[in-house]
Amino acid sequence: MAFFILRRIGVMALTALCLTFVVFFLTNLAPNLEKLAKTQGNARMSDAEVISWLDRNGYGGPLVMRYGEWLGVVPGWLREDPVTGEWRGRCLEDGQAPEDADRFCGLLQGDLGYSTVSADEVSNIIGGRLQLTGILMFWAFAVMVPSALFVGVLAGMREGSRLDRSLSTLSIASTATPEYVSGVILIVLLASSQIGLSPLLVEWGWLDSGTLFLGSARSAMDDVTFWNFTLPVMTIALYGMGYIARMTRASMAEVMTAQYIRTARLKGVSFRNIVLKHALRNALIAPFTVIMLQFPWLLTGVVIVETLFNYNGFGWTLVQAASNNDIELLLACSIVAVFVVLVTQLISDIGYVFLNPRIRIA
Amino acid sequence: MNDPTKPARPASHPAAEMYAREYKAGQLSRREFLVRSTALGLSAAAAYSLIGLKPAMAQRATPPMGGSLRIQQGVLALKDPRTYDWSEMGNVSRGLLEYLVEYNRDGSFSGILLEGWETNADVTQYTLRVRPGVTWNNGDAFTAEDVAANFRGWCDSTVEGNSMAARMGGLVDADTGQAREGGIVVVDDLTVQINLPAPDITLIPGIADYPSAIQHRDLIGTNPLDHNVGTGAYRFADYQVGISARLERTPDHAYWGNAYLDDVTFVDLGTDPAAWFAAAEAGEFDMTYQTVGEFVDLFSAVGWERSDATTGATLAVRFNQLNAPYDNVEVRRAILEAVDLNVVLELGINGQGTVGENHHVCPIHPEYAQLPPMTVDKAAAMARLQAAGHGDTELTLISLDDGLGRFTCDAVAAQMRDAGMTVTREVLPGSTFWNDWLSYPFSATEWNHRELGVQILNLAYRSGVAWNETAFSNAEFDSLLDQANGIQDADARREVMARLQQIMQEEAVTIVPYWRSLFRHYRPGVVNADMHPKFEINIHHLGLSA
Repeated sequence: MAFFILRRIGVMALTALCLTFVVFFLTNLAPNLEKLAKTQGNARMSDAEVISWLDRNGYGGPLVMRYGEWLGVVPGWLREDPVTGEWRGRCLEDGQAPEDADRFCGLLQGDLGYSTVSADEVSNIIGGRLQLTGILMFWAFAVMVPSALFVGVLAGMREGSRLDRSLSTLSIASTATPEYVSGVILIVLLASSQIGLSPLLVEWGWLDSGTLFLGSARSAMDDVTFWNFTLPVMTIALYGMGYIARMTRASMAEVMTAQYIRTARLKGVSFRNIVLKHALRNALIAPFTVIMLQFPWLLTGVVIVETLFNYNGFGWTLVQAASNNDIELLLACSIVAVFVVLVTQLISDIGYVFLNPRIRIA
Repeated sequence: MNDPTKPARPASHPAAEMYAREYKAGQLSRREFLVRSTALGLSAAAAYSLIGLKPAMAQRATPPMGGSLRIQQGVLALKDPRTYDWSEMGNVSRGLLEYLVEYNRDGSFSGILLEGWETNADVTQYTLRVRPGVTWNNGDAFTAEDVAANFRGWCDSTVEGNSMAARMGGLVDADTGQAREGGIVVVDDLTVQINLPAPDITLIPGIADYPSAIQHRDLIGTNPLDHNVGTGAYRFADYQVGISARLERTPDHAYWGNAYLDDVTFVDLGTDPAAWFAAAEAGEFDMTYQTVGEFVDLFSAVGWERSDATTGATLAVRFNQLNAPYDNVEVRRAILEAVDLNVVLELGINGQGTVGENHHVCPIHPEYAQLPPMTVDKAAAMARLQAAGHGDTELTLISLDDGLGRFTCDAVAAQMRDAGMTVTREVLPGSTFWNDWLSYPFSATEWNHRELGVQILNLAYRSGVAWNETAFSNAEFDSLLDQANGIQDADARREVMARLQQIMQEEAVTIVPYWRSLFRHYRPGVVNADMHPKFEINIHHLGLSA
């Protein structure tokens, strides 16, 4: 088991290395660097000024060397500015003398780098954003998993019944609707004072004024309420829910045809007791892995939902970092993403071993 | 706060008196009179008294003290103010870093950190009177030394991206890239004298622009976020790029004027107006930075107050004359002749503005000259293009993928197609558009409002200047422009301007389809939040009614 986990960690490190190199390569393409210089310096910079700016700010060297600097295996750049005579360097803190600065400052030294757009250390930015996304994911899970299991079990109890068909149709529809569609539909229906449900409710006197839910989750960054968090949570939950519900339904339907259920029926156990006491426990093993698989999948959902609802969490940060070519922030985001995907896989693999004794890992 | 009703110094300036006579003779509009006379150093009150009116301008309400306000606006990373390239940067730091002079909504200038200023008769010498009793929030006194140090900083053209150097004009020594010897003289603690080698009427508008925020004499070239030192009533409490910026009243700082609010938050909701609207309905901010397109009506429909400003802002659909086929004047003329600007105004910005005339001087500029109307003749345009040998040439019009740029260019392209030209539209997202935007052969560029007609011509159409995207280079134009820069009498200047405008049309430099009206919305109860022709927000003026 220990070897298995070690090997997994090795794979994770290697994946992270490859992925970050790809990201590094793409963000350091010449047009991207030019854009960076123009956003950081001045939008009307001439080509010569761009080159000078890039050189002065440490983007001049060969790509592999700079990747090494970021990793922390190559000493950080340090040079005297030809224009101002100041010392500038990757590892140089503000006002630090060049001889006091660390030689290496990269990922291996625990330094995630500097976000050019936010003008702040990446580590200062990532932490708070991850926490915000954590809150959103928690609520999405808290809504998605129980309701998906409930729907799945209801549908799987009597395969082919009218209840099964309608719930299955709903599940397929919700899985087939991506977040950027369902999010917009929800906003239009529930969070506009001009169209959708809210003006009707106001007219009927059920609602004082304004809207049923808030179409922007920005205030949820300070204080999560039912009004500001329902729509983003529902948008994420709806998409994943259908999938888990379908898996649960299949598993439940299979269990319901098992021999021991038939025996229980013949013995006259009530349908309610058959479902609750005999079938349910066995039917829930299969959805477990599916639920774990939702974590990495949620990461993409979160990117869309956070951008749509202006909730400045990890997904939003990733989009901003990519569109601003904020190199080191984007690299840090990729590492977090790799970490989340592989850790959840690891957990689901280990969990599966415990749930299913037929699988053994040496 | 600058009190417009304060008795003015016995005002006078020979030119101002001349303007007053012109106004009375009906040759000048009140706005033009105000722009010209306050640019010469008269207070608005003094200017009004010259024409026998009581100041009805800049009537800002006095809101009660206290309250918090949230403004929807992009929160960009700050930097050395001289290199600011977006009005938003000036707005967010204006609570901390003030300006010498403020440009008001009605076209007049009033002193902020300057109490007033005078010019000599031929506009080569400015005497700036520093407002007494102003202190920095670190306790230092604000003096003429600070003003002089900022002028020296603005003149330093060796700083990458320092756009102030262009606004300083002749004050910059071309050889050293620094301020001219003897150009900036500290007369005493509260007086600075600026000596220009040639007449320049644009100095005061130049120092009222957003990159001219006044920094402490020892902190020139720094990012205000790093030190939080300024003369303003506020300081940064929190700054997260792309998310929000919060300013709070600086404790223990005796601010020289009035500031009403306790704190102000700038809320960044991205660039999609639909997201702003959703956030407005969710009650997440109290006033917009700017409301555009269909959202002007939508915000009004949900009960927000609308404020608008007529401006000289436009979207120039310009050619770059270094690229074929636009190096051929006949091709450019043909395109101008094919495009009906009334249609572009209607389709490009829903008619929210006034129609342009294909030269970059707006009717609200004091020296605007009326030219004979342009003719639109699609058949003649096509014939002209064919005669130039480009009848079948594919013309590619590139624009940014936003409402204004895209719809306007679509309309221009449609007009050209109507005439039979082959036009391809290329719509680029912001992530790729900005890299090469200065050198696109045929593209659109947004221009903000400037106070005087000559300013934009100096900035964008003079040979070889940094912001000249059209690559227009014309010796006659340059020398006439030099001449215009030295004529303070707008009527005399108008004669030169007429020719300058005419050259722009003859040379078919650019399509200037319209002059935009700008809109802003705010929640009922927000005070002094009116839209400014230059997008300026001064949080010192803002307040909330009880």
